[in-house]
Amino acid sequence: MQRPVVSIEDVVVTYRSKRRRTALTSVQGMSLEVGAGEFVGLVGESGSGKSTLANAVLRLLTGGGEVDRGRVSFNGEDLLMLSEESLRTVRWRDIAVVLQSSMNALNPVATIRTQFRDVIRAHRRSSWSEQQVDADVSRLLSLVKIDPKYASAYPHELSGGMKQRVAIALALVLGPRLVIMDEPTTGLDVIIEHEILSDLRDLQRERGFAVLLISHDLGTVLEVADRVVVAYAGRIVEDRPAKALLNNPLHPYTRALLDCYADPGADQVRITYIPGQPPNMAALPPGCPFWPRCAEAEEKCQQGPVPPLTRLDGGGLVACHHAGAGTREGADPNLGRSGAVYVKSRANASASHHPVITVTGVYKTYRRNRLPLVALNDVSLTLPRGTVTALVGGSGSGKSTLARLITGMERPDRGTIRFDGRDIPRLGRRGLHAYRQHVQMVFQDPFAALNPMNTVGYTLLRPFVNYGRLSSTEAFKRVRQLLEQVGLTPADAFVGKRTSELSGGQAQRVVVAKALAVNPDVLVADEPISMLDVSIRAGILRLLDDLRAQRGFTLLYITHDLLSARLLADQVIVLHRGEIVEQGLAADVIQSPQHEYTRLLLRSIPNPRRRTLAAESKVSP
Amino acid sequence: MRYLIKRLAFLAFTLWLAVTLNFLIPRLMPGNPAQIMVQKLVGEGPVNPQLVRAVGIMLGLPRGTLWHQYVLYMHNLLHGNFGVSYTYFPYPVMSVVAQALPWTLILLGTTTIITFILGTSLGALAASRRGTWFDTTATITANFTATFPFFWTALMALYILGFVLHWFPQSGGYNAAMMPQWSSAFVISAVYHSILPALVIVLTGTGGWLFGMRNNMIHVLGEDYVRLATAKGLPRREIALAYGARNAILPNLTGFAMSLGTLVGGSILVETVFSYPGMGYLLFNAVGNSDYPLMQTIFLFITIGTLVANFIADILYGVLDPRTRRGGVSA
Amino acid sequence: MKTVIDSVLSPIGLLWSNWRARLGMVIVGGFILIAILAPWIAPYSPTSQAFGRMLPPSSAHLLGTTQLGQDVLSQLIWGSRTSLLVGAAAGGLVTFIAIVIGLLSGFLQGWIDDALMLLTNVALVIPGFPLMIVLSAYIPVHGVGVIIVVLSVTGWAWGARVLRSQMISLRSRDYVASAEFSGESVLRIVFREILPNMTSLIAASFMGAAMGAILGEAGLEFLGFGNPQVVSWGTMLYWAENSSALISGQWAWIFAPGLALALLGVGIAFINFGVDIISNPKLEA
Repeated sequence: MQRPVVSIEDVVVTYRSKRRRTALTSVQGMSLEVGAGEFVGLVGESGSGKSTLANAVLRLLTGGGEVDRGRVSFNGEDLLMLSEESLRTVRWRDIAVVLQSSMNALNPVATIRTQFRDVIRAHRRSSWSEQQVDADVSRLLSLVKIDPKYASAYPHELSGGMKQRVAIALALVLGPRLVIMDEPTTGLDVIIEHEILSDLRDLQRERGFAVLLISHDLGTVLEVADRVVVAYAGRIVEDRPAKALLNNPLHPYTRALLDCYADPGADQVRITYIPGQPPNMAALPPGCPFWPRCAEAEEKCQQGPVPPLTRLDGGGLVACHHAGAGTREGADPNLGRSGAVYVKSRANASASHHPVITVTGVYKTYRRNRLPLVALNDVSLTLPRGTVTALVGGSGSGKSTLARLITGMERPDRGTIRFDGRDIPRLGRRGLHAYRQHVQMVFQDPFAALNPMNTVGYTLLRPFVNYGRLSSTEAFKRVRQLLEQVGLTPADAFVGKRTSELSGGQAQRVVVAKALAVNPDVLVADEPISMLDVSIRAGILRLLDDLRAQRGFTLLYITHDLLSARLLADQVIVLHRGEIVEQGLAADVIQSPQHEYTRLLLRSIPNPRRRTLAAESKVSP
Repeated sequence: MRYLIKRLAFLAFTLWLAVTLNFLIPRLMPGNPAQIMVQKLVGEGPVNPQLVRAVGIMLGLPRGTLWHQYVLYMHNLLHGNFGVSYTYFPYPVMSVVAQALPWTLILLGTTTIITFILGTSLGALAASRRGTWFDTTATITANFTATFPFFWTALMALYILGFVLHWFPQSGGYNAAMMPQWSSAFVISAVYHSILPALVIVLTGTGGWLFGMRNNMIHVLGEDYVRLATAKGLPRREIALAYGARNAILPNLTGFAMSLGTLVGGSILVETVFSYPGMGYLLFNAVGNSDYPLMQTIFLFITIGTLVANFIADILYGVLDPRTRRGGVSA
Repeated sequence: MKTVIDSVLSPIGLLWSNWRARLGMVIVGGFILIAILAPWIAPYSPTSQAFGRMLPPSSAHLLGTTQLGQDVLSQLIWGSRTSLLVGAAAGGLVTFIAIVIGLLSGFLQGWIDDALMLLTNVALVIPGFPLMIVLSAYIPVHGVGVIIVVLSVTGWAWGARVLRSQMISLRSRDYVASAEFSGESVLRIVFREILPNMTSLIAASFMGAAMGAILGEAGLEFLGFGNPQVVSWGTMLYWAENSSALISGQWAWIFAPGLALALLGVGIAFINFGVDIISNPKLEA
């Protein structure tokens, strides 16, 4: 490895709340180096401490977070001990950041140019003339493929993807040696995300700065990074060159994460999922923090000390009692695949039956900033009874709008949506009330879909009371059955919990249970896994699939992700800019896409086994 | 542009509404204010019938449809004819109001600007030095001063600084021995007399702005763009001003209407305590003497003044927030 | 990285844990106790004119007597009833109007919302206190009831605006849509799903309104536009001012009711400070 630009040594960060008198150590001793010009990815799910670590480097911790221990060496100095004024000169000139959710990272009342200018001024380049500054801003904006005329625009005049590009250009303005990027593309359209990361990789190679890319998505990181660092429960569990890690993951967690990805175009798609929940930092188990979810865990893992991060003979670091022994090349591929396997082969696509919902010639236009925004443009489709249809498209494709129209949450401008002889847009309040006994919805963000003031029991009881007209003892019995069915066992442990106390995966299971309480004919699921941690996504998909097999409802699965579409769906419909561009049997569409947009979508889903972006980079030892 | 037109339309609408409200209140209220007034006026001695008619138009004529009365009322208003005052008989209301108006405009105008600037800056300072002794002292002091009743603070100031210490005059807007005129001696006397009322308004009115600004700014300082500004290595001062205060001042302007209402109400009480020759004291006297035409006119003027001040605040908001402006490079 | 709301601590407990809110609750609680116990703790009847006129403070009359020979301390104790009554009643009425208009306006969209919003904005910019004065000038009966009504009519706009914007933000939440999928009625959605998430805002707007009403009532009575025969802090100040109490050196007569008003105001403001922190944890110092 090259000489490190920055070296993080055994950093411990604790969040303390004075009011609640709590302390949560979310980074429990992480060490990590980033070499000059190196592109390092830091991967972890919620609770891994990855963002906290990133913020600790430049002392940007908020919410009561404090560094208790450790050092961050840069240029022979410890950034954690530097005076505020000396640190100020290091910030941005040497180390720049791109924040998570850059949507809100630009000052709303200043032009783009101003936000470049103030940082140039602050770092004593006040000798620069206005023309020099303007020229530099234009050059940087062009670099990230933004028309330089936007320099005089305000942030609200830019789209999300453009703001993200501006944030990257802003990070490069002083020619830093390291850029820390905290989930820079989360929340963006998949295609745009892919474009930005690929441009970033080119730029990084061209200009030679180092990058620390923080992401929850191992697939994305493996595509761009030279070296990948995997974090779990506030510790680093594996730190190895990307290629080595991909070909021979050593930590069971890394292995399990990798198994969450697959090529959607294969004849047989298989993914596994990691059982249990992402770590709860307030209640970590003794021993290795991963053991409750690990298939290889032995007594040593459960009781002994936390396995230390140890250097391997072949290069790289890993923290596992088993992995130190050596590589497992040629070992049984199923060993260590900790979760249940979810397999979909080409054969089990079913033929269509008669339609349960028919959408004909639907148009919908919104007004945004007084400009018309076409969401749906002459869309017609049918949902065959008892099948799964995946509606696939990027953001702005109109897929969520269609879900809202089909469920009666909104009305189309034109066109009909028929269910059992009824035209849904014409239903009044009463009609909709009755309709919802047949058509239910699973929302994208489970925490938004559950009232934080209510308990799980109350939430699930309401549909039974409103539609089932059951006695309360009977209804409670059904609530318990439902909880068991969605895998929340024992049910009694969940009935009294407030929904705000659940983990993401548990909350989404409650949302699914609530939708199924009325035993609907049709379930519309709008991106039900996109807000969840990668390790538990497949579990929710599997749950939906199992429940459908048991109950036989029709599923409309809305997603941007063709892999999950392939796993779940019989039929795939691709929506682009409000129009259906392609539809057919899932395997057909994904294996031999006809439309350019479908191909673009396929190219954009993270697929670590492809490693397109980093493929040409020199392989590190 | 669109924003400006919208605000102008709202101003026009509220002005019309205030005028109409002023027309309706005396007509909808129990009793017959117009008749009481006319009787009072006749009791004063010989009255110009035209003036009596003007009073009727202001407060409600015994005859004619409501619409007819409304048209007459509007006509009189546009000609500056508000009837005759009973208290200051036989002066027309307009000339009485015209004498009091400048006093209040200057006193309230100055104190509004001072309280806004003072409260906003102190609030910004408290937020950017959160948790320090300055923050604690400022918020606790403001907690007290802002909840003190205006008139009580005025009484205390009057007693201590006026009555006991004799630092300031105890009442009036100028030395009673002088004639109002544009001489330096008179202006000095007027300023001297206005210090105490102004002090009370500033002392009581600043707290509201302070809290508004502090809370807004704490919210803004937690935003991602402020964290990014820190990461950019900008000096603390620049972050606090160009990022924090600059954004936090916008919601503070939205709260302008409520704070201004408090100040206007407070100034009436303060003027009354100090017998300051402005609109508030005049209103107090008008109500005390059941001088309805004068009272109605003062209310109308106070309302118009408040509406215009709010309009200015709205326009300022529009200028400061690029999101209300259209245009730029994007289509 | 979701902040799990700490539901173990009840809102009251949270309020109590903030020293300012705790102090506020003690102050307001103290006043409520004094108002309730007035008949037992007041040394004399507040309207009895059996004593010497304009007496300075003494051991018999701790705060002196009025121009009619009434005991100032007894008036102060009984006067707390008026202020608290006005604060609770007008505060409650204002909050009620603000909730109805704010929730209606925020939940319904289209022209009803536009019309209500216009009404709210107008009510917001028309200065309330002068309007109160004008209205009270025309109304022949002057009493606490009239003042409460007048205060409520002029004071609801700010609360309505704040509650409307909160309503708009909450009604677009997925859990509201989700409740519709559970077959809930509109009323149940508004009152069972949305309103509980607005409690701290409603509490804040109630206390703001109560404080405004207490000060407004005192102001009106101080000017003599209330009923001067009622015993309240405002009328005490009115009589004290009219009897030139300051000049005659009876500072306690003026000082005490004003201080009581200020203290009650500070108490409410301190509680509100705590409520603010609960609804917006960022404000925690």
